[in-house]
Amino acid sequence: MRANRAVALLLGATLLLTVLFIVTDVVLRKIGRGALGGSNEISSYVMAAVASWGLSCALTERAHVRIDFVRQKLARRGQSIMDMLAMVVTNGVVLLVAVQCWPVLEKTILRGSTANTPLETPLWIPQGIWFGGWLWFALTSTALTLIGLYYLLSGHTKDFDATLGMGSELEI
Amino acid sequence: MIWSVAVSLLALMALSLPVGIVLFLLGIGVAEFYSSFPLLRGLGQMVWSSSASSTLIAIPLFVLLGEILVRGGVASRTYTALDKWLSWLPGGLIHANIATATMFSATSGSSVATAATVSTVALPQGESLGYDPRLFTGAIAAGGTLGILIPPSINLIIYGFLTETSIPQLFLAGLLPGLMMALAFILVTVGLCMMWPILGGPSRRFGWAERFRGLVHLVPILLLFGVVIGSIYAGWATPTESAAIGVLMAIGIATFFGDGLNVLAISEALHGTIRITSMIMLVIVAAYFLNFAMASAGMGRKLGQMIVGSGLSPFGTLLLVIALYIVLGFFIETLSLMVATIPIVVPIMAELGYDKVWFGILLIVLIEMALITPPVGLNLFVVQGTRKSGSMKDVIVGVMPYVAVMLLMIVALILLPNIALWLPSVL
Repeated sequence: MRANRAVALLLGATLLLTVLFIVTDVVLRKIGRGALGGSNEISSYVMAAVASWGLSCALTERAHVRIDFVRQKLARRGQSIMDMLAMVVTNGVVLLVAVQCWPVLEKTILRGSTANTPLETPLWIPQGIWFGGWLWFALTSTALTLIGLYYLLSGHTKDFDATLGMGSELEI
Repeated sequence: MIWSVAVSLLALMALSLPVGIVLFLLGIGVAEFYSSFPLLRGLGQMVWSSSASSTLIAIPLFVLLGEILVRGGVASRTYTALDKWLSWLPGGLIHANIATATMFSATSGSSVATAATVSTVALPQGESLGYDPRLFTGAIAAGGTLGILIPPSINLIIYGFLTETSIPQLFLAGLLPGLMMALAFILVTVGLCMMWPILGGPSRRFGWAERFRGLVHLVPILLLFGVVIGSIYAGWATPTESAAIGVLMAIGIATFFGDGLNVLAISEALHGTIRITSMIMLVIVAAYFLNFAMASAGMGRKLGQMIVGSGLSPFGTLLLVIALYIVLGFFIETLSLMVATIPIVVPIMAELGYDKVWFGILLIVLIEMALITPPVGLNLFVVQGTRKSGSMKDVIVGVMPYVAVMLLMIVALILLPNIALWLPSVL
């Protein structure tokens, strides 16, 4: 999934910009020139973006932690079934969470809420980005479930393992 | 309720579902079956408020810091420099293994990346100098765990966030036990190598001139550690701000004292950071919701009743909890073990009157042990993964002396809580 790699790089670049912003803020504060202000707030929005858009990147790279002390004892067929089960359950939960995230954004839009801070950020912007990330996560996991089912049923074992099998931290 | 949650937790994890998803399922289950309010409506809000956090952004920043140092070639230079300073001790290079692993996992917090890097640099040297592979690899695996105790530690940030404990206090509390353990690791190695010289390699002495030349590679790292930690302790910066400063310093160090950073190295570092952070965040966000669901379902009261009913003394409960972590640590990956159990265990311990800062440190030592106890000990796999030959057994045997040190540290923390609590109380 090349798109997810691009998303990860974009998030990373945003993170670097946030670093510059925070450091500038600290330096200005230290030398007594006032401060840019709002670095706390901005960094929390960046974190929300990372913690939603990054999720699908970690999913396609099989980085989400799974415990395999039972799975590793099974034969290959059993392992594939567990991988498929894990993906289907993940998909269901992610869809549910994404659906439950919508009311947060919906209320913000209806009320036109702004952050209770000097910046008075219109909250629909960061929450929109965040909700988009969960939506993307839901789409990615649905796509992966379908791809996985296809590989499993058509007997493409290798492709199946590469898509849904147990990732390893050693690949980092 | 506690028992059904705990049993479902283990059962769902055994099914190899992603840990974050397991925690979400449990939270949803508690919200549906044990609460009279429609808690599920709070799910979205919980996900938003736990991810939009200027505290947690310290996690990707510290991960990025470590990634930059490792990919910029700073780690291998540090290893060579530390070798010159420490190789005269009985056990030679092994001390460089421990010290490098300690320094790197302390500045970053990613114990996996550290263990991997140190073993790539150290293993060829160890082999050519004829070290016993067991203690040599064991020291790398064990040294890598120290970083989650010595601040800035990502695990302590997560603990502080989930239990509403002050992160600077936790950082202060972790410093002394962490340094004590690093020192104890070195002493144990010296002791073992004096008793059985065959375990270590040749003890080599380098001239002072060479040692001082090596300082060029040590001082920047020590300075980085000093600024990051010092600015938090002095109250100049929040952990997040100090992490941001640390990232800039790391870029400087990698550029001027390392191999330099090209576009590829930077993009690899950023990509790795996002992947690790997202993996951690799914688990944290889910645990945060589980925390909320259990608290709203009135868990505190039920826990109190359960403990009074069980007739177990607070000390007995503590021993039971420790035993539980040691056993679970054999099987469950460490971050998951920590995050998944915090919503259940920490309220119990707090209810019994144990200090949350102290318990956090104790918990981290237990988690460190889980990182190197077989069959599932991440650092064992990492070190074994970079070896070309030999069996996993070598590494497992090699970490045993260090596991013993950790057990002693746990006993010491229980007998003398001030090892952890003294620094936070005076500063």
